[in-house]
Amino acid sequence: MSLTALSFTLLFVIGTMLISIWQKLGLEKDIAIGTVRSAVQLLAVGYVLQFIFHAEHMLFVILIIIFMIGVASWNAAKRGKGLPGLLWRIAVAISASEMLMMGILLGLHIIEATPQYIIPISGMTIGSAMVVSGLFINQFKHEVQQNKGEIETLLSLGATAKQAIQTVRTRAVKFSMIPTIDGMKTVGLVQLPGMMTGMIIAGANPVIAVRYQILIVFSFTSSAAITSILLSVFIYRLFFTAGLQLKVPAINK
Amino acid sequence: MNSSFEIHHLAKTHWDAGDRPSKYLFSNLNAALLGPERIAVIGASGQGKSTLLRMLALLDAPDEGDLILDGVSFRAMSSRQWRTAVTYVAQQAVMLPGSVEDNLRLTSKLHGTPYNSGLAAKLIEELGLHYLDLSKNAGDCSGGEKQRISLIRSLLLRPQILLLDEITASLDMNSSQLVEALLLKRHREEGTSFLWVTHDLEQARRISSRTWVMSQGSLQDQQSDVLFKEPVAELARKYIRSMEGGDTNEPNGT
Ligand SMILES: Nc1ncnc2c1ncn2[C@@H]1O[C@H](COP(=O)(O)OP(=O)(O)O)[C@@H](O)[C@H]1O
Ligand SMILES: [Mg+2]
Repeated sequence: MSLTALSFTLLFVIGTMLISIWQKLGLEKDIAIGTVRSAVQLLAVGYVLQFIFHAEHMLFVILIIIFMIGVASWNAAKRGKGLPGLLWRIAVAISASEMLMMGILLGLHIIEATPQYIIPISGMTIGSAMVVSGLFINQFKHEVQQNKGEIETLLSLGATAKQAIQTVRTRAVKFSMIPTIDGMKTVGLVQLPGMMTGMIIAGANPVIAVRYQILIVFSFTSSAAITSILLSVFIYRLFFTAGLQLKVPAINK
Repeated sequence: MNSSFEIHHLAKTHWDAGDRPSKYLFSNLNAALLGPERIAVIGASGQGKSTLLRMLALLDAPDEGDLILDGVSFRAMSSRQWRTAVTYVAQQAVMLPGSVEDNLRLTSKLHGTPYNSGLAAKLIEELGLHYLDLSKNAGDCSGGEKQRISLIRSLLLRPQILLLDEITASLDMNSSQLVEALLLKRHREEGTSFLWVTHDLEQARRISSRTWVMSQGSLQDQQSDVLFKEPVAELARKYIRSMEGGDTNEPNGT
């Protein structure tokens, strides 16, 4: 696809903006910003990847993965206002699940140890870990607020922080996994996943594309589970003071 | 049992400090229990009775002052250990997921101690719950049943001091009397102390030897027999203005 051809797709955007103006939706500005951002980000990523693939140096791969984990953690931590020290805990959870996934995929020679494989698959697992972390933190806070009575009852009977928050913690982990598991059940039936679509359009054999997609779905699910469970272990203590009083973070702050 | 419990200059700051005469909900509270005692806590709604009990159980952090149990400050003891000796029973009984029996076994599970089924059976009997199917889902019990189960659950910890927050408010007269009788018996036989918040002055008179009156951010410790010489109506006017639910400013009764 030539750049000229690509620029014609701007017509879609202009059309949408005209509709927004006509219908007084007030979305023109956001659409314009979104368009510019996504184009610039994606083009930049394209050049960065091209550079890295040519350089064939693992240092660059590691740097880009660290960058992805940083952005993902920062994004997920936005959900957790009122929980100090959340950012680095998320970063550790996501890094651990990324290392585990890559360890298995590379260690068992499931994928080749080249940037072409490592970077996109890392990107997807880290992205899924990010979504799950955000969901988990939101739900954990929500469950703690809803079940204050239960947690304090346990505390008043001499429970440890871990014992007092146990049921709430597992409920939040389960909840955060639901979209991933649902996605796993309907994948391919409702919507062809982005990576598979991309590979097919670029000319790959659908059967090969599907194999990679299966790999991705499984990696997604386990990285989601690992991240969510690790994160729950890392952060439950943040809901208590040093003197073991329940500390409910404010909802809208 | 030669237990002692002291409250020194205890204070809780009010959470909206602006345009109020004092920045405290209450301050400079001083009181002590020397040995097993029966204490009623009375005062109008919103005076901070529940907050005081929660603080004595360390569920809320004391903002100033000290609490001393058998000569040891709460700061020098783990909150867990403290709470097994000084145990709060909330006004709203919360059942944990599972059966009635799961709830009764909870404390032995939390602390890894053997379950005292003999004591449990005795307490169930004495609170008139012998008819209750213990395998029933605890969440399906009536409010009054939950309240009594929660009391038994706490008693199975065999605490030194029970902090009881209006625990008979949702009980009928008969169950209320069973609860009073049981707690008086535990006091007599086991030396268990209790601090019992109640709006029912007749009940306060029946169960206590001393009464703590909370008003305007301070606490007065009085001999119950002296205090209750006054006619109940007069006392209510003085201390419990909202006894009949008048100017209650407790949003959810906690
Ligand atoms: N730091 C605080 N902790 C608890 N309650 C507070 C605090 N500051 C102000 N309050 C208010 O004080 C009142 C305390 O109520 P509560 O302890 O339930 O009293 P009571 O049990 O005597 O009715 C409530 O209205 C609450 O909003
Ligand atoms: Mg109260």
